[in-house]
Amino acid sequence: MADTPLYVGIDLGTTNSAAAVFDGERVNVVRNAQGATVTPSVVRLDKQGRVTVGTRARRYLEQDPTNTAAEFKRLMGTGKPIEFPAAATTRRPEELSAEILKALRQDIADQLSVTIERAVISVPALFELPQSAATSEAARLAGFARVELLQEPIASALAAGWRADGDGAGSWLVFDLGGGTFDASLLETRDGLLRVVGHDGDNFLGGRDFDWAITEHLASQLAHVPRRNAPEHAGALRALRMAAEDAKIELSRGDKAQVALAQPLLIDGQEVEVDLELDRATVERLCTPLVDRAIDVCVRLLAAHGLGTGQLARLVMVGGPTVMPMVRARVAARLEAGIAEGHDPMTLVAQGAALYAATAALDGRAVQVAVPAGRQVWLQYPAVSSDLTPHVVGKFIGADPPAKVKLVRADGAWTSAEATVAPDGTWLTSVALIPRRACTFQLEARGAAGELVVVSPSSLTIVQGLTIGDPPLSRTLGVALANGHVQTYLERGAPLPARRTFTHHTIETVAKGSSDSVLRIPIVQGELSQAHLCRLVGTLDIGGDAVVDTVPTGAAVEVTIELDRGGRLSARALVPAIGQMFEHVAQLLVPEAAPEGLEASLRDLRRQLADLRTDAFRHGLGQVIEKLDRLESRLAEAERDIDAAHGGDADAAQRARRALLDVDGTMAEADLARKWPELDEQARHAAISASSIVGMYGTEAERALLQDVMTAMDKARRDKDPAELERQMRLANRLSNAAYNRTPEAWEFYFEEAASEVSRCRDLPRAQRLVTEGKVAIDRDDNAELRRVVKALWQLLPENSDARKKGFDSGVR
Amino acid sequence: MTAATPTAPSTSLADNPFFVLGIATDASRIEVEREAQKLLGMLELGFADAAIYATPLGPRARTAEGVRAAVAALRDPQRRLVAELWARHAPPPRHAAAPPREPGPAVRAGLRRALGWRP
Repeated sequence: MADTPLYVGIDLGTTNSAAAVFDGERVNVVRNAQGATVTPSVVRLDKQGRVTVGTRARRYLEQDPTNTAAEFKRLMGTGKPIEFPAAATTRRPEELSAEILKALRQDIADQLSVTIERAVISVPALFELPQSAATSEAARLAGFARVELLQEPIASALAAGWRADGDGAGSWLVFDLGGGTFDASLLETRDGLLRVVGHDGDNFLGGRDFDWAITEHLASQLAHVPRRNAPEHAGALRALRMAAEDAKIELSRGDKAQVALAQPLLIDGQEVEVDLELDRATVERLCTPLVDRAIDVCVRLLAAHGLGTGQLARLVMVGGPTVMPMVRARVAARLEAGIAEGHDPMTLVAQGAALYAATAALDGRAVQVAVPAGRQVWLQYPAVSSDLTPHVVGKFIGADPPAKVKLVRADGAWTSAEATVAPDGTWLTSVALIPRRACTFQLEARGAAGELVVVSPSSLTIVQGLTIGDPPLSRTLGVALANGHVQTYLERGAPLPARRTFTHHTIETVAKGSSDSVLRIPIVQGELSQAHLCRLVGTLDIGGDAVVDTVPTGAAVEVTIELDRGGRLSARALVPAIGQMFEHVAQLLVPEAAPEGLEASLRDLRRQLADLRTDAFRHGLGQVIEKLDRLESRLAEAERDIDAAHGGDADAAQRARRALLDVDGTMAEADLARKWPELDEQARHAAISASSIVGMYGTEAERALLQDVMTAMDKARRDKDPAELERQMRLANRLSNAAYNRTPEAWEFYFEEAASEVSRCRDLPRAQRLVTEGKVAIDRDDNAELRRVVKALWQLLPENSDARKKGFDSGVR
Repeated sequence: MTAATPTAPSTSLADNPFFVLGIATDASRIEVEREAQKLLGMLELGFADAAIYATPLGPRARTAEGVRAAVAALRDPQRRLVAELWARHAPPPRHAAAPPREPGPAVRAGLRRALGWRP
């Protein structure tokens, strides 16, 4: 056991958490002290400040709700402290998550007698960066030396795919209905490789909505009805909700359940007895609309990738609510696909995370400091490989390395060809794996005279099985610019880790020593090109009191954004003019959500939505009307959440904030519909012009690409899809620009245009000098110089202040 | 201002996944993964052979990020198609004839406005 790696995966869930370990051959779910495979994500702090976690804490949810916290995962990254009045203290959500992680870590230690320092923790696919950062922080607080984060749908897919028979190619769907969110992921396996084809989901649909639907039904039958927006009814509703949850679980097996509370509820000073009967048919009737909403998301996802119902090879169900027979039957029937059996919906994510830990070579055991015996060699190989003959790359340390090296499989049935070691100690060979097994290889090195050389490490292990490449970035990341637009750094789907650098220019002077003078570089996440429709996830501020010298307007700032495999963000800005580097990213928090502010946004969005609908009807834009219909129901949900936020539910406030932001983003897209005739006309012109320019100056590849763009434009026009038409038009323009910019004439045109606005430039004498230099460059036919001049002039033109506000006060362009 | 700012010239040749990985456009999925895994290992251990790759625009520095991005691109069938197209039609750019100086009056009329440039 000591030599066998142990890969640990943890599902840190909203309602329940679980841990699993993988030893290279088998995945085992870790049981807690109560013998259960799942641990409720509930933490209690008593008067003495003692912490209780899991099932024992959950028992206090009803009796002592003010000192017992649940569902704090939804508040991760908000920095909102959770109060524990008995102990007169507060805890941040990440501190509470750390308690759950500590408990799971202890369970592993108890069961396997190993101390775990590294693990993979799963996070929802659409977690924002602050939430991911908070998860990493929770792991650090729990004593983990290193963790990697993995998106939940990828984890479930990996676990489900690992045990799939054969390598049958096909599309399959992971239907992940959690406590508070729904995720649908379309995947494809081919040649032992797992690929995420697409994601969709509803961040506001989960098991708790089922519970609320049942709770509200139960409440409506009481003599005195408690209301969600009344803080004084919160206790009664909580008790009723817990009873509803239990009844729901009971009805997964039986046909009838009794909902009776030992204590009467206290509603507006009156005691209300609860003794009701609930049957399966009623629960199914209450939950059907919610299940259908999830299925609609799946159908939409399939359609977006050219698939219809009945075309799925497999359907994998994940999450507590999917245990309900009605959910399974309805999903299978409407998607016309068979459910993959033999997977535990409650622990599949943890199992996948453990498998992924192997892919990432993240052995969970504490590092053993071994004294190297023999010649040291650095090795690079995949810990898990879908390829049956992967490469092993090595390098001997120090001068005078061995001459030859070969690898012998532990079963003795296979030996590699002898690889020659280069004078710098490097060598390369490949190995043969046995399908779906862990294979260990011994390293055999020989000196120039053929003598055996002892090497360290002397062996390596590779597991053959399904693999997934680098985790993809879930949302596009960029820097907001002073003109209100976003410079994209890393596109959604980019493999992690990733790093990208762009050069920006300051639009204002940062005066040395002045604390009022700050250069702000806002980092945003989102799919839209307008900054205010994206989410601000951090800012890099360069203050006048931190600079060693004054940074003039137009100075270059080289910004680098980096994300590690776990999606942790770091950013730095180098200002070459003063030779200084700034690295502190501030404000990595999900913004506060006050109910009053949310209400104002809701009213505003409702008004805009009504206008958009009128326009969409007028222009007969079917797709847009459909989109707007969906928004209407989202706004109704947000309204309910804002109501609950008034009752003190911080989680509901955050849900409402995100819902409103999503609605705003979708409406911006729909707003394009207003401009349909104009857009259509623009697109026609763009198409004609692009054909001419690309035809004349474009490369063969550009011409071929333009053909594709034209076809897509035609389709978007037929479908009356303004967002797609605008996107294709941008592509056509980019191709034209690329072709046109190769001609010297292009830069003369840009120059004339910029020169005509010279009076608006910030540094007039410099701008005038540049104009003179530009004219000389034109006379000399010096296109490179002209280009430099034009770019310098662009830097001196002012930005619009409204746009800057929308760009989160960005100080760069 | 933004509408008039031209985009940077396309880098589809210099960072084409097939050139980054040094493989043929008909490489199978497994071959792509295998080559990438080998290159990442070689880069990590500082193999001199892995540090540079050839493109029609001349040699370029190979980085681990570039290799990972290349594999990710080739895993996606649509992005792979585009990459294949660029790689197959790779022009010999250094010796290409300069484009004509003037596009000709017929094309120029209204053309810039149509492309979103200011008149």
